[in-house]
Amino acid sequence: MIELDHVSKWFGGVVAVSDVSFSVGPGVTALLGPNGAGKSTVIRLVCGLTLPSQGRISVLGRQPRRHLDLFGHIGLVPQQEALFESMTAGAFVTLAAELHSLDAPGSAARAALGAVDLDAGDTRALAEYSKGMRQRVKVAQALVHDPPLLVLDEPLDGLDPRQRLTLIALFRRLGSEGRGVLVSSHVLDEVERFGSRVLVMAQGRLAAEGDFHAIRTLMDNRPHRLRLRTDRPRRLGAALLETGTVVGLAVGGGDQLVVDTLDVAGFRRAVAPAARTAGARLLELVPLDDDLESVFRYLVGPDPSPTR
Amino acid sequence: MTALFRMFLASQVTRARLLGLGSLGLLSVLLGLALGAGDGGDPATEATELVAAFGLSLFVPVTCLVFASAVLGEPHEDATLVYLWLRPVARWRLVAAAAAAALAVSLPVVVVPLALAAAVAGAGADLVLATVASCSVATVAYTGVFIWLGLRVRRALVWGLAYILVWEGFVARAGGTASLLAIRSHTRSLLAHLAGGSGELIEVSAATGVVLPLVAAALALALAVRRLTRQEVA
Repeated sequence: MIELDHVSKWFGGVVAVSDVSFSVGPGVTALLGPNGAGKSTVIRLVCGLTLPSQGRISVLGRQPRRHLDLFGHIGLVPQQEALFESMTAGAFVTLAAELHSLDAPGSAARAALGAVDLDAGDTRALAEYSKGMRQRVKVAQALVHDPPLLVLDEPLDGLDPRQRLTLIALFRRLGSEGRGVLVSSHVLDEVERFGSRVLVMAQGRLAAEGDFHAIRTLMDNRPHRLRLRTDRPRRLGAALLETGTVVGLAVGGGDQLVVDTLDVAGFRRAVAPAARTAGARLLELVPLDDDLESVFRYLVGPDPSPTR
Repeated sequence: MTALFRMFLASQVTRARLLGLGSLGLLSVLLGLALGAGDGGDPATEATELVAAFGLSLFVPVTCLVFASAVLGEPHEDATLVYLWLRPVARWRLVAAAAAAALAVSLPVVVVPLALAAAVAGAGADLVLATVASCSVATVAYTGVFIWLGLRVRRALVWGLAYILVWEGFVARAGGTASLLAIRSHTRSLLAHLAGGSGELIEVSAATGVVLPLVAAALALALAVRRLTRQEVA
């Protein structure tokens, strides 16, 4: 449904997307990456909101922007929060339905708002809606014309856990019905729930693609870095090297010790006995790279390890 | 297109805009009343100068700037344009609906008080009709130009005011080509022709005073369609 062939996009001297190629078929595909990875630019490229600087994009067999009728087959949830603030949710989604020339725009809007648990009869202006409600209105306007392709930029942002579950179930259902659903997120656990194929983006590049579980394993198998504070860093370091769970180690200033390990669980089991052996007091143990940013950095190119 | 028109119309009509521009309209009526009550010069000449100097040089362009630059400019700036742009709707329809909505608000806001001002000034029916005609032509022209400007630049209000005050109010007064490139030169000429007096306001023929502003509006709207087709959308 979507094909990107060596697509790059730069804004002035800033490269937002670099030589990205992938294809998306029916079902849910997650576009995973940290903020600034280029996900939103890819989504804008797919929808024709911006043109590629290089490469070729095909959506449902056509080039976005060149074929106006293509927009009748795409539903987009954009990233920006702004809506037509003075309108009601019903009027906003009905307008979308009317612009798609639906026969019964009012009932289509009611159905779309119902799908995201919102009341089409709510008379409040959108300006009065919470962030979660606004997100769901954005999803409703994307669904209203029942498009075969949905492109969703961080659609779960600002939703409470129950609403997240509802929308994840909705996206999975739409995917299982044969629609293409491309959904971006920077939250790993969120993507796991889509149970989907994953495209991982980092620093404007496609860092990995495939089944979520394979990528999760790849992420979990990377070297992990932890910082320890102890009263005897050199002796504890030596004892940790003896355990065989450490692949890199650096003694920092004062009482700090930084270690790299491929087996976090094994390391955690070994660290207390090693401290006892070394006669060291373990003051602190902090993971330094459990955030998603460092996972993506690893996928793009490994950090230099500390010297042994 | 009706849905778009309704949406654009609703987005244009805000209390602050109506109060601000309504005050200018009220001021024009009060000025007309003052002229009508005075016993100084020729009421027709004075009322024509009121409509030309206050109406066609300030009130009409500023009102059109406020509404027309915002109708597509605001959704462009706050990125809500995507909710209109990413629909299977021809770009010319978007621009046409925006222009119709801006005109639907601007025309009554400027034409009614200025026609009333001309009437209460006691200058006769000819000036009232001349005011309605010249203000209508001016409103169409400025609306077209400022719709394009709203899509073309950020802070279109500032650029538009610069055009009105610096170009039309200062540079174009030097006459020659600069004057011909100012909408107000044409609309003031039209007013003077139709009112049958004030020769010093006449710079072009009545036909040119109608045709060129309308051509400028059509060109500007065509540029707006082109801009909407080609520009990047947030």
